[in-house]
Amino acid sequence: MTNQEVKTEEIAREIETMQYEEWLPVESKLVKWCVGLGIILLIILIWISYTFFPAQ
Amino acid sequence: MAEKEKKGLLNEDWLAFWLAILIVVVSLFSFVGIDPLGWVIKVSEWLSFDKALAPVGKAYKGVISGGFSLVLTYVILTIILAIGVSLLGGNVKRFIIGFFFVYWLSMICWVIGHYAYLASTDPAKHNITWSLKLTGEGGYILALILGLIIGNFFRGFVSYLEEALKPEFYIKTAIGLMGAVLGLKSASAFGLASAVLFRGLCAIIEAYLIYWGLIYFIARRWFKFSKEWAAPLAAGISICGVSAAIAAGGAIRARPVVPIMVASLVVIFAVVELVILPFLARAFLWQEPMVAGAWMGLAVKTDGAAFAAGAITDALIRGKTEALAGIKYEPGWILMATATTKLFIDIFISIWAFLLAYIWCAYIECKPGEKVSAKEIWQRFPKFVLAYALGFVVFLLISAPHAPKVQAVDAKVKQIEARIKILEQQLNATTDPSQIAKLTQQISEQKALIQTSKEEIKDSAKVISQTKVATSGLDALRQIFFLITFFAIGAVSNFRKLWAEGIGKLAIVYFVSLFGFIIWIGLLISYIFFKGVKPPIIQ
Repeated sequence: MTNQEVKTEEIAREIETMQYEEWLPVESKLVKWCVGLGIILLIILIWISYTFFPAQ
Repeated sequence: MAEKEKKGLLNEDWLAFWLAILIVVVSLFSFVGIDPLGWVIKVSEWLSFDKALAPVGKAYKGVISGGFSLVLTYVILTIILAIGVSLLGGNVKRFIIGFFFVYWLSMICWVIGHYAYLASTDPAKHNITWSLKLTGEGGYILALILGLIIGNFFRGFVSYLEEALKPEFYIKTAIGLMGAVLGLKSASAFGLASAVLFRGLCAIIEAYLIYWGLIYFIARRWFKFSKEWAAPLAAGISICGVSAAIAAGGAIRARPVVPIMVASLVVIFAVVELVILPFLARAFLWQEPMVAGAWMGLAVKTDGAAFAAGAITDALIRGKTEALAGIKYEPGWILMATATTKLFIDIFISIWAFLLAYIWCAYIECKPGEKVSAKEIWQRFPKFVLAYALGFVVFLLISAPHAPKVQAVDAKVKQIEARIKILEQQLNATTDPSQIAKLTQQISEQKALIQTSKEEIKDSAKVISQTKVATSGLDALRQIFFLITFFAIGAVSNFRKLWAEGIGKLAIVYFVSLFGFIIWIGLLISYIFFKGVKPPIIQ
């Protein structure tokens, strides 16, 4: 498997050297859109499921 | 995986597609009166070992012994898979050596798992007083445990098996075969099948949007990961493990090391989930079997572990429901809920990767010269899903015009037979000659009615019988591929990686997200969409 090829030292180095990055407004927007759309679709899909695809 | 480096003519994804298609096409010979897969080994519950093994096809019983069927299955699988490995560009000799151990060690677990004291849901049937009621699929758990022991304590031995340890390839082939089996099942319960399919689709849309957004936020804000790390990590933890991490990493043009490191964690945690979640489902969700099935699809990462968890959950819940409530659910429907959610997830990975690439390039950061192409959707599309879909549709189309008729007549015949039984009891109880003549005539009329009913659906019954011959062989092979998947998952899971220096922060974010959110949101979504959906009852 490809993941076995990654050396432990490489993992440690990668994480240590990871730069801190400011949280951008566009990221807030992305997360809000994802979760918001998820919640709105949840309501719509529940309605479609129970109306057109009943359990039995 | 589509992303895997291509050394041979095919990658594992395409090989699983072609192998499943080839076997499904061969199975269709049942429609010309041949049982082409009847030689495959089938293990049954046993107290006396001579009852354990038999070929799956009725036509082969008494013709070849169970032991011969076991060896024949090994030989034919070795030949077919060795050809496959050569197409993958692998080392055929090493595969043959490895597969010898993978097959026989897995099969020993499978046979032990069918021992009546472990498997039987009705101990009285075997004249025993107790049983663990794990059903025969408990053999999967034994294979997983044996694989884990070998993988973690006998690393030297694992190096001999490595070429044959291909859990993702085995499970993809198994899923390709499962499509045909579920196609026949769905023909008898089309309404239920369409509900499971649609609700599975809804569940994964929800999972993608809510999971990804939440985990990305947690990784960035709480654990201060960079964007390059957070996006693949969110995809890996929240969506579908390895494939999603690699696809998301590719989409945002992260360096290859990032998704590969995430993937190494995904594989390990998926095994932890596989060991824990089916038993949690058995304890708390046995009255909502389809919720449990969908939950496995949404919560357990990697295809292998998710389908494996679905198979164990299917077995454990059916066993418990039969033992406690006397309800015998038709096998395979709980696994179908898992498969539906997982397959939709796999399909959507390609679409999600495309959307992510577009959003990243348009709004977050666009690497120089980067172009987002819709072609990537097809490139990342899991091809083995097509084998599942083709098998499903072909067997559904073949059996859909006939299955409801046969089912209705079967139900009618059962009612008539019950009526005949009552009449026969009355007949035995009376000495009045006129009553005897009347009852005898009624019994004859009822028997004639059975004959007429069966005659009316003779052609449909023949088609369904031939379809069952095809699917029984496919299902027996599917079980063997599942079995070796369990063993292979165990053997490739090296838990020492968790203690490796430097992986701690990744492991913590994975652990917190998975056990703090993902599993429980997955359960909630499964509950919302699958509550009250029950598999067909066969008794």
